[in-house]
Amino acid sequence: MAAPPRHSAMLSVSNAVGTPQSGSSDKSQTAQPPSTPQPTQGLRVPSNRKTIYDRHLNRSRNAELSRASFAYLFAEMVTYAQRRVTGIQDLEKRLNEQGYPLGLRLLDLLFYRTTTTSSSALSSSSTSSSPPNRPLRILTLLHLIHGPLWRLLFGRSADALEHSVSPDTPNEYMITDNDPLVNTYISVPREMNQLNCAAFVAGIIEGVCDGCGFEAKVSAHNQPTEMWPSRTVFLLGFGESVMEREKVLERAGIK
Amino acid sequence: MSYYFTILSPTDTPIFNIAFGTSKGGGDGIARFRFPDTAQYMNQFIIHSSLDIVEEAQWTNGGMYLKHIDTYPPAAAYISAFLTPSGARFLLLHQPPQLPNSGSGSGLGSSSLLGSSGNLARGSTSSIAANPTSPQTEEAVRQFMTEVYENYVKTAMSPFYKQGMEIRSPVFRTRVNAAGKKWL
Amino acid sequence: MPSSTRTVFSLIIINKAGGLIYQREYQAGLRSLSTNDYLVLAGTFHGVHAITRSITPKLPVAQTSPALTSPGGSAPVGFSYPNPGVPASGLEHLETEKFRLTCFQTLTGTKFLLFTDPMTGNVDTIMNKIYELYADYVMKNPFYQLEMPVRCEAFDRHLGAWLRGRT
Repeated sequence: MAAPPRHSAMLSVSNAVGTPQSGSSDKSQTAQPPSTPQPTQGLRVPSNRKTIYDRHLNRSRNAELSRASFAYLFAEMVTYAQRRVTGIQDLEKRLNEQGYPLGLRLLDLLFYRTTTTSSSALSSSSTSSSPPNRPLRILTLLHLIHGPLWRLLFGRSADALEHSVSPDTPNEYMITDNDPLVNTYISVPREMNQLNCAAFVAGIIEGVCDGCGFEAKVSAHNQPTEMWPSRTVFLLGFGESVMEREKVLERAGIK
Repeated sequence: MSYYFTILSPTDTPIFNIAFGTSKGGGDGIARFRFPDTAQYMNQFIIHSSLDIVEEAQWTNGGMYLKHIDTYPPAAAYISAFLTPSGARFLLLHQPPQLPNSGSGSGLGSSSLLGSSGNLARGSTSSIAANPTSPQTEEAVRQFMTEVYENYVKTAMSPFYKQGMEIRSPVFRTRVNAAGKKWL
Repeated sequence: MPSSTRTVFSLIIINKAGGLIYQREYQAGLRSLSTNDYLVLAGTFHGVHAITRSITPKLPVAQTSPALTSPGGSAPVGFSYPNPGVPASGLEHLETEKFRLTCFQTLTGTKFLLFTDPMTGNVDTIMNKIYELYADYVMKNPFYQLEMPVRCEAFDRHLGAWLRGRT
């Protein structure tokens, strides 16, 4: 492999770890296909040689999770968040922060899964698959949260989606869940009755909004009714930059 | 054809870089850019200069694959972009090999979306290498991007990965390389 | 069916140290006690229950045990309770003319005391459901501290609704 000096320099720029032509194949790993990772970088590959990259993302699509194990896990998360908090708001903020990174991740997974279900295989031709669009407008984003995201998380759609009726707060939207899964087994003590542990879900929503480029603050509020004692309203307040862009996009006629 | 592929975080931090060459039509998969050795930074420079156009197109085109969005004529460098819903940008710079009869690439970035068919006849070979804006190239790049996206999602789902972190996994790098070999 | 056959008067939960952690009345029929008396009742019952458990006779293991096949003649001098495999449970029922007290002890030592009409059937089913609701709405609640009085609104709500629904 007589490489001109130029390209070897290029390889060093590209930091080509494990590329088959980088000469590392000369090392004692002889009969390895080029796609297998080379255990020289301190990477520990599981004994069955399957990394997360070898697992299909849709494998756990229809998998079911024990409600009890989630309840115990979430109870421990709340207990953990409760350590050394200064008040209810602080506790809600911590729960929110626990959910936020989850929202960022779920966003990519959600789109990946909708892409791959519209076309059976990933590598099928473009005519058979139409990948979903990224949400550009607030309403598309809200429908995404209300429908697909809720179904991914809880197996059903949210119960209501409303726009704030107050003219002072046109940037506020509300998503209602009559019986949030996370609160099923939780009874908040009377002295903390402002608290709603669905702040965790609010954090997930916030992560999804921020990930899509819609800066937002999301909070969870108790709105019990006779029929639904743990009814929760998620209040989404979008930032000013989002509202400005929304106006521009509306003028441009972009949906 | 030589390629330079970069993933940028939503805050424009480069989190992954790789350079490779075409494997189609007898290519050896080695990048041979036209810059002198002292100017390899040009790739990154050109890619980052197209970010403005990406950000403009981001809010007018809801698709994830934005196709060919920018051209840098002095280096005959073409940039294709792919946006993940969570705001990461995949940018691919492709530079066709210098043909003796044609000079630097024709066609400006603005005309690229429409003028692709006109360039079809120009290349001596119908392979994607010669026509950076042909529908075949767009399709090949799209397939490449989709495959990288799948692996990116897997990276992002790792509990040890935080958004915006550099992707250091050698497995990911091998996978991107394989995708490049397969499609480009 | 006359309503008396399915009457649940009240429920008491006692923690493993003998402290009263829950007391609710569901149907009138018994005279109420003062809070203090309920505490005394819980403590007393706890002690009596412990005694009834410790006077459960232990039966020496019969010679026809599976130890025959084990090597060495020194079979461990073991014993078993009258009902092998089930540890001594102590007091389970207490019956008067007007009510029946059923006690159920969980593996962790928490005791559920259910006061029902003597004619009420299927007390085990009721007890199982109560235990299930307790496991769900008390033990899965992050704000419940173990061994402390149960103040879980969802538990009250679901238990009340279920008991009302079946009477």
